[in-house]
Amino acid sequence: MPGKDVKIVGFLCNWCAYAGADMAGMARMEQPAGMRIIRVPCSGRVDPLLVLKAFQEGADGVLVSGCHPGDCHYGSGNYLARRRLELLGRMLPALGIEPERFHYTWVSASEGARWAEIVNTFTEAIKDVDEGS
Amino acid sequence: MEELIPIIKKALEQVDVVLGWAQSPAAGVAVPAFFHTPAEADAAVFDSTCAHNLAVYLPRLADKKVGIVAKGCDARSIAQLIAEGAVKRSGVFVIGASCPGMIDVKKAWRCFGFGKQVCDAAGKVAMEGKTVAREEILLWKCRGCRDPEPVICDVTVGEASSEAPAPPAEPAGIRKRFAAMTVAERRQFWQDQFSRCIRCYACREACPLCVCRDVCTIQAHEPGWAGAAVDSPQSWMAQLIRVNHLAGRCTGCEECERACPVGIPLMLLLEEQNDVVEELFGYRAGGEAKPPFLTFDIKNDTWDEER
Amino acid sequence: MLGVFICQCGTNISATVDTGAVAAAAAGMRGVAHAESIQYTCSDPGQAAIGAAVREKRLDRIVIAACSPRMHEATFRRALERAGLNPYMMEMVNIREQCSWIHADTGEATMKAVDLVRKAVARIRAHVPLQGGKTAAVRRALVIGGGIAGIRAALDISAAGIPVTLVEKSPSIGGNMARLDKTFPTLDCSSCILTPLMVEIKQHDHIELMTNAEVDDVRGLVGDFQIDIRRRSTCVDEEKCTGCMICQEKCPAPAPDDFNAGLCQSKAISVAFPQAVPLVASLRKQYCRRFNGGKCRLCQKLCPAGAVDYGQEDEVVSRSFGAVVAATGYGHYDWTGSYPTFGKGLYPDVITSAQYERLLSASGPTGGLIRRPSDGAEPRQVAFVSCVGSRDESAGRPQCCSVGCMYTAKQAILTKEHIPDSQSYIFYIDMRAGGKNYEEFVRRAQTRYGAIFIRGRVGRIFPRRGKLVVMGTDTLAGDQVEIEADLVVLAAGLTAAPGAGELARKLNIACDETGFMAEEHPKLRPVEAAAAGVFLAGACQGPKDIPATVAQAGAAAAKVIGLLSRGELETSPMVSAVNPSRCAGCFKCRDVCPFGAIDKDRLADGLVTARVIESLCRGCGICNAACPPGAISLNGYTDKQLLAELVEVLR
Repeated sequence: MPGKDVKIVGFLCNWCAYAGADMAGMARMEQPAGMRIIRVPCSGRVDPLLVLKAFQEGADGVLVSGCHPGDCHYGSGNYLARRRLELLGRMLPALGIEPERFHYTWVSASEGARWAEIVNTFTEAIKDVDEGS
Repeated sequence: MEELIPIIKKALEQVDVVLGWAQSPAAGVAVPAFFHTPAEADAAVFDSTCAHNLAVYLPRLADKKVGIVAKGCDARSIAQLIAEGAVKRSGVFVIGASCPGMIDVKKAWRCFGFGKQVCDAAGKVAMEGKTVAREEILLWKCRGCRDPEPVICDVTVGEASSEAPAPPAEPAGIRKRFAAMTVAERRQFWQDQFSRCIRCYACREACPLCVCRDVCTIQAHEPGWAGAAVDSPQSWMAQLIRVNHLAGRCTGCEECERACPVGIPLMLLLEEQNDVVEELFGYRAGGEAKPPFLTFDIKNDTWDEER
Repeated sequence: MLGVFICQCGTNISATVDTGAVAAAAAGMRGVAHAESIQYTCSDPGQAAIGAAVREKRLDRIVIAACSPRMHEATFRRALERAGLNPYMMEMVNIREQCSWIHADTGEATMKAVDLVRKAVARIRAHVPLQGGKTAAVRRALVIGGGIAGIRAALDISAAGIPVTLVEKSPSIGGNMARLDKTFPTLDCSSCILTPLMVEIKQHDHIELMTNAEVDDVRGLVGDFQIDIRRRSTCVDEEKCTGCMICQEKCPAPAPDDFNAGLCQSKAISVAFPQAVPLVASLRKQYCRRFNGGKCRLCQKLCPAGAVDYGQEDEVVSRSFGAVVAATGYGHYDWTGSYPTFGKGLYPDVITSAQYERLLSASGPTGGLIRRPSDGAEPRQVAFVSCVGSRDESAGRPQCCSVGCMYTAKQAILTKEHIPDSQSYIFYIDMRAGGKNYEEFVRRAQTRYGAIFIRGRVGRIFPRRGKLVVMGTDTLAGDQVEIEADLVVLAAGLTAAPGAGELARKLNIACDETGFMAEEHPKLRPVEAAAAGVFLAGACQGPKDIPATVAQAGAAAAKVIGLLSRGELETSPMVSAVNPSRCAGCFKCRDVCPFGAIDKDRLADGLVTARVIESLCRGCGICNAACPPGAISLNGYTDKQLLAELVEVLR
């Protein structure tokens, strides 16, 4: 069963990424079952501490997704998110967390197929890390 | 540095208090001192044990006009507080002190014996017959001083340093060992380090940029970012909160690590973060600009926001 | 006391998720007093069951595991309100789009559904009742785009007594419909049915028309958008110009004729077309001699009304609007890049259907006589090629233009009417004629007008002995075909209007992958855009024909009227709030807020803390993430709620 043992927390913005995940569902695109989506209004709402807390609580991976740059429902939320999350991603090795376990990306409301693909490849990447260590 | 005393006295004509150092009555080192009157200022000293970053006192004195003796690195903290609006520029009078490099008093005492007066009046490291390379007992930041000149200053005291800003020192000691570790080894390393943490919050209290003080979220019962339990994972999370809140704000003064009573190498985290911020956004805390996580230009040269 | 309802959604959920098992698991969760599985929770009996459980078991908060909250959150909030609870004491769990529809294994899907319910149960414990406020709404609507969609929407909105500003980018309203000769399936004359409406716009007391104008900047939100409209300088005083066209006649500088799809030349100063509204000239500086180093001032000298003013500058007009209708229409796909075997636009007698429309029109460059561009000869054999830049994966354009089949049939009919001894050939993939009387229309083109339909794609078009050879396959005969034609008409696909993406950004609404503006829900909210108070009318939302466009414009108008008729709007309570006793006064929230919604508050004891201006807060929560002591919280997405969810889901 794909992805059964891998638990991923996904923080998805309501306007783009969450709608994109819904779109993948409407198109019945099968995905690994380890993804647990937490809906937020904007990727800018995602405090990097939420990501760190998820790792501390035992998440195998954390994914943050929002609107594409320029398309933020609130104008600049995803720009801010990206700055914070890029820094966080680069800090992870120093914190003792494999950077492959964290990913942030942009998914629009119409990109259902892209969302399904992201869940698949991210789950696989985490499995590779788990097997490697 | 005798010329400091008249400068403090002169400053007291226009400020309510001057923050500086005086000789500790207990140990042979300098400790922070608040000078309210010219008479008090006679006790002022400045030598290689004046490591404290006095900027930590500024936010709580925001309603007063304050003079402050500042080393080059301390001035960065003051500038950062001003940039963030925690301190008003018009409210501080900065006395820039030419810095000989600060020594790690704990290391000095290990070499010379506890409580020994490790500095003479001229601000030179006294060895009392023992020979220890100066490098050995300098603070890490002073081994590759980036800020011999204060970025913000109203009057200077002492000769301007002839030394150019030094490149950061090559990693040595724990920094070298940490750099060589695998990610899994670091995970274990931090678990071990934070098993020693006693949650005294000295790191936070010593930090000039930790401006939340008594509303700090680390100690808040709700929403429960980090449990109050003194165990390694909770203490680690608590420290990560502090590190995260200092992103783009830490000026690298090392006061947190110096304050830690159980010797956790906190600067490994903050130095890493400062380097990444500088690399990504071309930003170093302690200038005139706000941190790149608060306000930024969407058409920034160093970071393509549209990519 | 918590109630949990697990929706089966017929078999949409229950086919993969064992909803009974999920309900049983939920019954054992902390604080849960009631758990049941319901066939259709959103139905009347489903909502009644919620009400009954609330009354019987004194529930004060409800978890509903069903479809996406984007689908039915509002429905269930209303259900809670009817049951006497605060509508925000509800939490939805998405076990359809994000669970049953994406997993095949029942065990796995059921386990995940239980996990998701547990997370919601943990989260809802941190819910507090929220109360929305009311805010005054500006009784004025902005309609962007003056084609048939914008015209219809503006007229319908103003009919309800709500003033409208209609902004049109080009010098005249009328849009693409004004360029058409006749319309399918009735063969009504396009101008004859459109021009009266255009005139009505101009004469309407409640409609302010701005042509040569574009939206510059949009601030504010539903009920009170502040919008800057830039009126481009045309060097002509609209009040003085009488539309006599003397300037156009005498102007020595040629310029492309946009209205006639580039088939002929116009002048640097011109009236867009004879029926233009407003009937005034405008000057295009890029083609004018005076603005390109010359000394010509002919138009100013000759204008009997003294309307020409070379010094006229762009003007930015600021207005407040309660609602916005986007009606920016469509653009034409430029086929020349993707179809090299069709001659890349180098053969003058290979034209697009938009150009052919102008050749058919009595107001066109040939006065309604079909004359091919190369030599002005009347064509005898006309070949129509469907789906150029539509339904073509190799050109990266999979979408159907939805009107090509019909207008091609129409153009074949009109060809026969203009030139009775002509022969039309139509290359098609499938004839799509789903509308009312459409199929009959296509059949008429075949039977009464003798058009020959060839099912298959065209591979190549090349000139031979003064004719154009159209080579393609006839997939029904299973054979290659070669037609020698005098004129080839390509049914080029429809794209989003140029600049539509930029406008969408300003309005804060989304576009889909084909560049058209995205509706909020394809079925349930087809005219609402992603931003509250912004509605879509016509082809800006996707290719559609005139009847569908007019219907959608009416629907958008009804939404605007519904929104603005009460004079006030309910505001969302999901805004940020400051706990002053935890505020450190660092104002990082103010630095990151995109809406300027944070103010300073001086408390009685002299402490300075942050305060949220609720009318400006849009509920993004960026401040929440930036606040170090956690003093500012976004209602509905507090740290406490998110952490409860996070910790529970990883348990």
